[in-house]
Amino acid sequence: MSKSIQNKGTLQKIGVIGCGTMGEEITRVVSQSGIDVIFLEINQGKVEEALKSISCHLDKMINKWGLTASEKKLILSRIKGTTSYSDLKDCDIVIETIDSKKKGTSIEIRKEIFQKLEEEVKENTVITSNTSTLTISDLASVLKHPERAVGLHFLAPASKVKIVEVVKGVQTCDEAYEMVNKFARMIGKKVININESPGNISTRLIVTLINEACEILMEGVGSVEAIDETMKLGFGLQFGPLEMADRIGLDKLLKWMDNLYAEFGEKQFKASPIIKRLVRANQVGRRVGKGFYNYEGGKAIGQTVTCTEFN
Amino acid sequence: MKIIVLNCGSSSIKYQLFDMPSRKVLVKGLVDKVGLKGSSIKHSRNDGKEVKLEGEILDHQTGIEYLLGILTSEKYGCIKSLNEIDAVGHRVVHAGEKFGGSVNITNAVVEALEECIDLAPLHNPPNLEGIYAITKLLPQVPQVGVFDTAFHQTMPDFVYLYGIPYSLYEKYKIRRYGFHGSSHKFVSKRACEFLNLDINKQRIITCHLGNGASIAAIQNGKSFDTSMGMTPIEGLIMGTRSGDLDIGALFHIINKEEIDIATANTLINKHSGILGISGVSSDMRDVEAAAGEGNVRAEIALKMYRYRIRKYIGAYAAAMKGVDVVVFTGGVGENDWVTRAEVLDGLDFMGIKVDKSINKELRGEDALISPPDAKVKVVIIPTNEELVIAQDAYDIVNGNFVN
Repeated sequence: MSKSIQNKGTLQKIGVIGCGTMGEEITRVVSQSGIDVIFLEINQGKVEEALKSISCHLDKMINKWGLTASEKKLILSRIKGTTSYSDLKDCDIVIETIDSKKKGTSIEIRKEIFQKLEEEVKENTVITSNTSTLTISDLASVLKHPERAVGLHFLAPASKVKIVEVVKGVQTCDEAYEMVNKFARMIGKKVININESPGNISTRLIVTLINEACEILMEGVGSVEAIDETMKLGFGLQFGPLEMADRIGLDKLLKWMDNLYAEFGEKQFKASPIIKRLVRANQVGRRVGKGFYNYEGGKAIGQTVTCTEFN
Repeated sequence: MKIIVLNCGSSSIKYQLFDMPSRKVLVKGLVDKVGLKGSSIKHSRNDGKEVKLEGEILDHQTGIEYLLGILTSEKYGCIKSLNEIDAVGHRVVHAGEKFGGSVNITNAVVEALEECIDLAPLHNPPNLEGIYAITKLLPQVPQVGVFDTAFHQTMPDFVYLYGIPYSLYEKYKIRRYGFHGSSHKFVSKRACEFLNLDINKQRIITCHLGNGASIAAIQNGKSFDTSMGMTPIEGLIMGTRSGDLDIGALFHIINKEEIDIATANTLINKHSGILGISGVSSDMRDVEAAAGEGNVRAEIALKMYRYRIRKYIGAYAAAMKGVDVVVFTGGVGENDWVTRAEVLDGLDFMGIKVDKSINKELRGEDALISPPDAKVKVVIIPTNEELVIAQDAYDIVNGNFVN
């Protein structure tokens, strides 16, 4: 008769590898759901930095009425940081979420992490990656037990977005897959089940939309603002495609597109020259205060690129 | 007859073992931080023997397993075997429109309560966890559900409906339910026993003033109106809850602060009330101390808190076309004489008077604080929700339950 009992008690500790923007969000969401979480960073300095940043974020939530001081204390008490893989050994699920913005391929780094991790964790620990454009099967190929690997793709910001994509790789076993599904539900997400394909649903579609928006811009059909307004107001999207690109970060976007183009070889995944140009100028979006728009205090204050530039 | 009373919260389990019909509490305790770090059980026996155990308690079932273990332990327990337990009474917060009184828990009852989760998403699930656990651990023992909402099911439709499209009531059962039912029922009944009055001929206003607070108009022993609504937010100003608030103001806040619905919910549930106004604390004693030291906001908070109660007393006296008895209960209602005095000050016109010197004395027991010649009897009745649960369980198991 109890649905809830069956879902309780088995997931007690989650590991997060890499506590950048995404790792931090995931760490917080997991702890807020009442589950212990330990994150791994490359040095103690980064660990401290991440803990401080999480604490800051919780303070902001208190100021914006979303949390009380005692709840913050409780959330922080469930979070630990470490630099040692051996501290992840008793985790039920480990989520790899390293920074993928850097140039060059991150696949080797991720594979290395998977290998190191498997040496330390217990035999039934499920190993997941937050990647969307690399495949979990490829990452799992370096594991002794590739059946324990599952794709777990959070969209940014992980605390706000209501879905996660849970990806079944070629060798993923049912137990591991079901465990990740259960975990996703425990942290309050709607699970989107995905049969492995680079870009899943989310990245593949958003990337295509943004790229086409760049084409429109290049052809001089309409301005940055015109494109975004059309999609926002016309289709009820929260953000226009170019504003979304700035939020994702153009460097990251380019990375995704390169991966997808390598996989599919289709034109719609070939990054628009505008994106490449802006990345070269390190005008990569909201994070640096400049992308398709200029930003002040996180708010867009006018476009930076005009369509005539490309005519 | 031995009856366990369980009150399962989201991360805690309060329990008492009653001997019935003597009403003696044999042991009581608190399982704290269920499913969290640092969980513990604090247990005390009526001979003063106490123990605190710490260890991992991942869910309600584990917590209940442990507390059953202590009940039967030689050192701290009071029964030899679990076979001595005759019934378990559960506090359940929300029974929607399904139950107007306490019931014997069957599968059908559990299903009905599962359907009510929507109405009390924070409270009903842990209450149900307690029921699931006992079903598993003590399958032979009868269980009784005592509901916070049940006593108020006698409210007439023109009282419980809100001024919104009727279809919303039909679709989602949006209406006033009211809470603290066991307490309002207990103290109104007890007040009449104490005053030697026939409850079927009285118009009673009961003020349950604890950390959560509500007030009820009880006519002839039946709840006629109460200040809490579909959720426990409405009505009186509470420790951290706003009480009555213009919904339009809330929409405005949501826009201005750019927050979502969940956050707005936290705002009016956890950041508001006495705490939000005073900025000091949600505990009346702290706020009174601060006001005593000249803290202006603390002073305003207290004034608002008391004014709101007074306003409701006036409203409910009008609603029942008069009032015969006013009851104070709950931590603040029983102990805070200043609040009682200020709430009732100047209400002579409606027959309410308070004997100032008697009001100031603290007793922790039933007491009449109005002068003998007053038209309206004002009494303090310490509430005992656990006893209500034990009594209902006892009566139901024996087939003597009268709602």
